[in-house]
Amino acid sequence: MRRIPRAWRTPLGITGAVVAALWIVVAVLGPVLWPYGPLAQDFPRLEGPTGAHWFGTDELGRDVFTRVLAGAQVTVPLALLLVGLSVVVGGLLGLAAGFFGRWVDETVMRLTDLVMAFPIVILAMVVAAALGASLVNAVLAALVVSWPAYARVTRGLVVGIRTADYVLADRLLGFSAFRSLRTDIVPMVVGPVLILASLDIGTATLLLSGLSFLGLGAKPPTAEWGSMVSTAVQNFDSWWMGVFPGLAILTVVMAFNFLGDALRDALDPRTAGVLEKAETR
Amino acid sequence: MTGPTSIRGRGRTVALAAAATLVAVGVAACGSGSSGGGGAGGGTLVVDSSFDLKTIDPGREYELTGQMLTKGMYETLLTFANNDLTKPVGDLATGYTLSPDAKTLTLPLAQGRVFSDGSPITADDVVFSLQRLIGMKGNPSFLLDGVTVAKKDASTVVLTSAKPNPALPFILPNPALSVVNSKVVTANGGTTDDKDGAEKYLNGASAGSGPYVLKSLDVASQAVLTTNPKYNGPDKPGYGTVVIRNVKAATQVLNVQKGDSQVALDLSGDQVKGLDTGKVTVTSGPSAYTIFLLLNQGTAVSPATSNPQYVSAVKKAIDYSGLLGVAGTGAVQPAGIIPSLIAGTLPAADAPKQDVAGAKTALAASGMSAQKPKLAYPSDLTLNGLSFQTLAEKLQSQLAAAGIAIDLAPAPVATELDNYRNGKEQMGLWYWGPDFPDPSNYLAFAPGGLIGKRANWPATASPDIDKVATTAGSTADTAQRDALYQQFQQGLNASGPFIPLVQPPSNIVTATTVTGATYNPIWTVDVGTIGAK
Amino acid sequence: MSAPSEPSSGNPLLRYIARRVGVSVLLVVGVTLVTFVLTNLVPGDTVAANLGQQAAADPTIVAAYRSHYGLDRPLPEQYGTYLVNLLHGDLGESQQTHRSVVADLSAAVPATLEIAIGAIVLSILIGVGLGVVAAVRRGHLADSALRLVSLVGISVPTFWLAMVAFYVFSYKLDVAPGSGRLSPATTAPPDVTGLYTVDALLSGQWETFGDAVAHLMLPTLVLTLYTVGLLTRFTRSAVLEVLDQDFVRSARAKGLPGRTVLLRYVLRAALVPILTVVGLAFGALLSGTVLVEQIFSWPGMGSYAYQAASHLDLPGVMGVGLVVGVIYVVINLVVDLLYGVIDPRVRVS
Repeated sequence: MRRIPRAWRTPLGITGAVVAALWIVVAVLGPVLWPYGPLAQDFPRLEGPTGAHWFGTDELGRDVFTRVLAGAQVTVPLALLLVGLSVVVGGLLGLAAGFFGRWVDETVMRLTDLVMAFPIVILAMVVAAALGASLVNAVLAALVVSWPAYARVTRGLVVGIRTADYVLADRLLGFSAFRSLRTDIVPMVVGPVLILASLDIGTATLLLSGLSFLGLGAKPPTAEWGSMVSTAVQNFDSWWMGVFPGLAILTVVMAFNFLGDALRDALDPRTAGVLEKAETR
Repeated sequence: MTGPTSIRGRGRTVALAAAATLVAVGVAACGSGSSGGGGAGGGTLVVDSSFDLKTIDPGREYELTGQMLTKGMYETLLTFANNDLTKPVGDLATGYTLSPDAKTLTLPLAQGRVFSDGSPITADDVVFSLQRLIGMKGNPSFLLDGVTVAKKDASTVVLTSAKPNPALPFILPNPALSVVNSKVVTANGGTTDDKDGAEKYLNGASAGSGPYVLKSLDVASQAVLTTNPKYNGPDKPGYGTVVIRNVKAATQVLNVQKGDSQVALDLSGDQVKGLDTGKVTVTSGPSAYTIFLLLNQGTAVSPATSNPQYVSAVKKAIDYSGLLGVAGTGAVQPAGIIPSLIAGTLPAADAPKQDVAGAKTALAASGMSAQKPKLAYPSDLTLNGLSFQTLAEKLQSQLAAAGIAIDLAPAPVATELDNYRNGKEQMGLWYWGPDFPDPSNYLAFAPGGLIGKRANWPATASPDIDKVATTAGSTADTAQRDALYQQFQQGLNASGPFIPLVQPPSNIVTATTVTGATYNPIWTVDVGTIGAK
Repeated sequence: MSAPSEPSSGNPLLRYIARRVGVSVLLVVGVTLVTFVLTNLVPGDTVAANLGQQAAADPTIVAAYRSHYGLDRPLPEQYGTYLVNLLHGDLGESQQTHRSVVADLSAAVPATLEIAIGAIVLSILIGVGLGVVAAVRRGHLADSALRLVSLVGISVPTFWLAMVAFYVFSYKLDVAPGSGRLSPATTAPPDVTGLYTVDALLSGQWETFGDAVAHLMLPTLVLTLYTVGLLTRFTRSAVLEVLDQDFVRSARAKGLPGRTVLLRYVLRAALVPILTVVGLAFGALLSGTVLVEQIFSWPGMGSYAYQAASHLDLPGVMGVGLVVGVIYVVINLVVDLLYGVIDPRVRVS
């Protein structure tokens, strides 16, 4: 972990850091930066980019530039929330599976199989239909499909450590299972899993905006990038309605992926390999 | 558009359609392998449409796409000529006589007409077809509720209704009431009760007498029709092959401009604005759909909207012309729940009007200004290019301007329909289209009617309106009926729980070489009348 | 969930395979159960969603509808009936298309596979190639450039790219055909595999083949971008890992030419982990098609799933769940078996 700062000195890492920082600033400052209200239907409808409206206006006469900026407040925090929840849920289950083995392991792993074998869109649609479309429900639906990756990685790491000499030695010294878990195993697992999490922010953003695109996420009239693209598909000639929110998603995801990539390079190859395998789920 | 709701009518303009179809400008730009200019019997016509297709068995289909396809392959006893919805005329029957008590409809059959296999159309075929529709208990069976069908002689069929049924001649043109070749259908499992097993056959082959026959069908992607060589009816099919494809509206815009298709049926008012009129012909006008706002009268379901002052506040807060701006070219504000194009419609002057000051007063009087009712709507539904999503967002912002706060509660049609039908929505944004172009179809909005119940609005809640509605339903005299239906709607506008908002536009876009593609609220477009220049 | 009874064979490999197959079957059944429960938990009523307004108001029609689809039975019985029918290869009748789900899927699945297979083949060719180049040229300009490309590739929202690609190439530039699998004037080739390209070749219809390929181009390329990014990254690190190992060093030390070492030792050793990722990426591609099919009006599994889910068409949803589940399970099984064959230690664990 100490080597991370050096990794950020690569051009891609720096670019990623700058762009990500910009978006975070946009999200934090919020209304200070907005030229208009994101919900104000005050302008001529479906106008192309002009000096007054850099990204044009949408089908209800709202300023697309403002809505793109406002969208940062929705998507970025939720992607972080999703990743956080996935780490907690997946991490705990993976820890249990790896440490206790036997039927616990078998159950958790078959559960991950089940989730991964399940068509994600149907799952999301069913969740959205059952609970109603909202961003929180989109996060829940996404969580259902996101935790297995963390469970698998955590389990893999735990299985590797469990049989390490020092852990066995401590167990022989009379450490309880819980103490062994707490002092010997968890500290070794937390680092890599957190790094995996940081690599995953981009993917989480993509997943959430994809759900919103299908109408399963943001509740209108909230400005959300995925649902803005979805509306744009119905107004094909007004290309500005979809191109700019899409670029926003692209730049956010790219920034986090650049950062993650730089981070990975700074790791020892073994951890990186484990993580990469997990990421390609 | 989805199955359940598309059951409602298919609103398309009549008046403007005829006038504007023949706008021919510049040179046709048809390419990409499909013929634009084939004469009679030749060439391929490609029609792009958003499918809501389940079946093309005439006795079972009741969806927009099914009606259009069936219309091309089958014929009905009566029809609407030139899309004049006020006067049913003969098709397989030469005309009709309705008894003075409006219970007996006598239909003499046209002579010499044949099915696509060359066999003559008999009174037995007619009786079998209609009895099959009634007996199968499918989606369109309700059209002939309480009607018995009998053969009087070899060339006459008589329809008898239990109750006075002046709307029956307006129902008969519905393509669901098509006449099928009874020998062929019976041979393939067809019966006149719910044991019928001919649907599978009829989805692979047609058994009618229309200008086209079915070549192939894939309910998810496309239907291919070819000319019926034995056809001896009045239409003049202009193409050898008609391909009707399932294409999303956004893609339809591109296809029709590139010459990839010759007809596009689902473009929005905004989408047609950007079209190059040198390449395509655009026909716009109001459809026969009424999009309306439902305000639940159940005090337990919704304290706010069940308050009459609150209802009045909402009616006055809406900027109706602002809604038309979102709906795009061709949209109009319906003056009452019965849209323009249908008998009994209110004059435009009677339409609800915006009055923000009045809305604020009424809201204060209601004591409900702190309430925030939920507006439920089908978020995945788009009607002629007008998305309910957009409309709901517009409404929310308009109401907010008058101090009325509401929450949006979008849900997929499939789940929201259940709440709507069970009367659980506080506010609902839905639409109604005519099952048949007769004002009696709109008695559903009477207190205690099909939709009235969904607003928890029983007959006892408004005896005055209920009385007018009942009288209108049993009156046969045309002038009297129209007056009664207008009175019914004035009552609804004054104190009913429904607010008619907008008739969305119907836009038909064709290649400039194409003629005769005019909209009809029941079957959208009759491929049998589409020709090439 | 425990493994089913194991054959008495003494061969550990066979035992391992039998165990994995058994678990896979259970997994597929699990998928159907989860789909069934979830779909029935949805508050919407399938009758409301599939019958017309007037028809749904008529109790006799509703009753007839319910009994036709067996909806009047208790849920456990409905599920039991489904499983029994499944054993006979019958997935029920779709409430949305009124056809058998098997017939629906046998049209939709090949449509999706045609895009997905094209995309995965392209991705392997491009992604693995680029990944090897990046690894060999580690730290050079080519490596950095490829890294940029692959990172951008995995960052692009597929649904957005599909829209932009369609707008630019089909609409503005008119170099790609419109939506669907074939031009309207073209008739589908005789159905053998359901893959239009293959069927057209089998029957020697060159024009149809060309048309099918032209229609496949955009959706395939859009899907390819993401997978290429993934495979390039993964291949690079897999190859790097192998390059670091003793046997490669010693091969080098023996003076074998670089190309021989690369092809004979490095790529071979890196192949299994790469194949694993290919398998997983293929699964991801299948669900990625939902978004792309929406834009291109592609009558594939994604469109079918979306339609079925939005109509609460239970048999349709179950059918899609089953197919996706089976595909995933088969891919995993093959990958696991490959590992098992290559690395005996896996079997012991």
